[in-house]
Amino acid sequence: MRLWVGVCAMLLAVNVQAADGKFRLDWLKTVAFAAHQTDYSGVFIYQYGSHVETSRIAHITEADSEYEKLESLDGPKREIIRHHGQVWCYSNHKMVQVMSQPGKGRFPALLPDQLSNLGENYQVQDAGVERVAGYPAQVILFQPKDNFRYIHKIWVHTDSGLLLKSVVLNDKNQVVEQYSFTQLKIGPEADRSWLTSNEAMAATTTGTGKPVVAAGGQANTVKSINSGWVVDAMPSGFKKTMEILRPMHGKHAPVIQLVFSDGLSAISIFIEPADSDEDDNDGLSSRGAVNLYHKVVNKTLFNVVGEVPPLTVMQVLDSVRYNGK
Amino acid sequence: MKHQISTLMDGELFEDEADILFDQIKRDEEAQCDWAMYHLIGDALRQPEYIHQDITAKVIERLQNEPTVLAPRGNVLKQKARVLALSAAASVLAVGVVAWMSLQITPEAAPQMAMQQSNIRPVNMQIQPKSNDYLMAHQEFSPSNDMNGGASYIRTVTYTPEEKSQ
Repeated sequence: MRLWVGVCAMLLAVNVQAADGKFRLDWLKTVAFAAHQTDYSGVFIYQYGSHVETSRIAHITEADSEYEKLESLDGPKREIIRHHGQVWCYSNHKMVQVMSQPGKGRFPALLPDQLSNLGENYQVQDAGVERVAGYPAQVILFQPKDNFRYIHKIWVHTDSGLLLKSVVLNDKNQVVEQYSFTQLKIGPEADRSWLTSNEAMAATTTGTGKPVVAAGGQANTVKSINSGWVVDAMPSGFKKTMEILRPMHGKHAPVIQLVFSDGLSAISIFIEPADSDEDDNDGLSSRGAVNLYHKVVNKTLFNVVGEVPPLTVMQVLDSVRYNGK
Repeated sequence: MKHQISTLMDGELFEDEADILFDQIKRDEEAQCDWAMYHLIGDALRQPEYIHQDITAKVIERLQNEPTVLAPRGNVLKQKARVLALSAAASVLAVGVVAWMSLQITPEAAPQMAMQQSNIRPVNMQIQPKSNDYLMAHQEFSPSNDMNGGASYIRTVTYTPEEKSQ
């Protein structure tokens, strides 16, 4: 009898442990899907350093795609519209198409293997339940296992799985940047009027609107390639998710882009021939959690961008090497 | 007290009076400052080649507030201006670190080095608006899209104070 109790207790313990790990991955899947499949509208603040900015966002799902609009409420008017795998950006009084991936549907790119990858690079912890923007939120902490990534903390709406707040911290536990909804409507309550009344929507959906300027007037399609560039000192856990030749706004020639992801953050490497006027801006710069390292080597311009600490982007750029024929 | 110190320095006090005053100065911090200050004034008036002035505390303070320059600026003129602006000691240190890092980063050495250097605070330089296109191109493939939804796109269009003034 006593033996049975012991065995049962052991089985139970194993079960609980497995369920615990599964609980966290399930949460992440829920978050990833909710961001794409939930209708919502609201106002959020974005803060890094002394910079604080308020924006409003609306996200509406359609039968085969999603429509999303982001508009700045402070400073000069800026807008981002994402629809059907296309991204439009309004700034400096111009509407510009910055990206087109017609194949990209409404499902998240975060695949199960990336989720398990995430478990290898971060310790995922349940940090209790808190309240954000009037909603109860599950708090999840991602503690990195090395210094090549930031600490991430997210607040997830317990019902819908929507992300209500997100904080990025450095290795000294200082806030690098944060987003937080201050007001949010979910599901049928989401405000659509602001979305549909906009002329930009008509422009992007019909493709005939005047404010639209295609990037450089060239074909906007993205091509998968094998560029021959390799990174010798990519921190462990970052896996290559993309290697493309893409048009870029403001560039005459297509640019090579390599993307590496550890499941939570990504590092992009942009490689292109250097223009003569490019050397003015050499070095490291940052905006919130994003660091950019810029360098010209042998008339080739490298830009490394990622939501990772400065030293990670520097190390990556300095170890990029051409291995092609 | 100040008058007494002045008299003492002029050598106009008797030995026993001077001893008492020295004792007082040792105990009184303010008097010590006065003592040092009067000597400094005297030294300055005599115009010697060298004046003793304790600036240790100030230098330490400046060094602590100084951000470490991690990356070299391409423009020589800008760099010169920066060197003038920063205190000399700190700039030398920072440029030293930059030169050392750019020379030393090799694929094998890089991981350990990054670990050791993680305490360096980078210069607080904002990403220029002209680099927004890179941020945008990066954002589209970042997993933060799947977590944060469109909200993380705010990074790609956030404005800088320079833009505000236009």
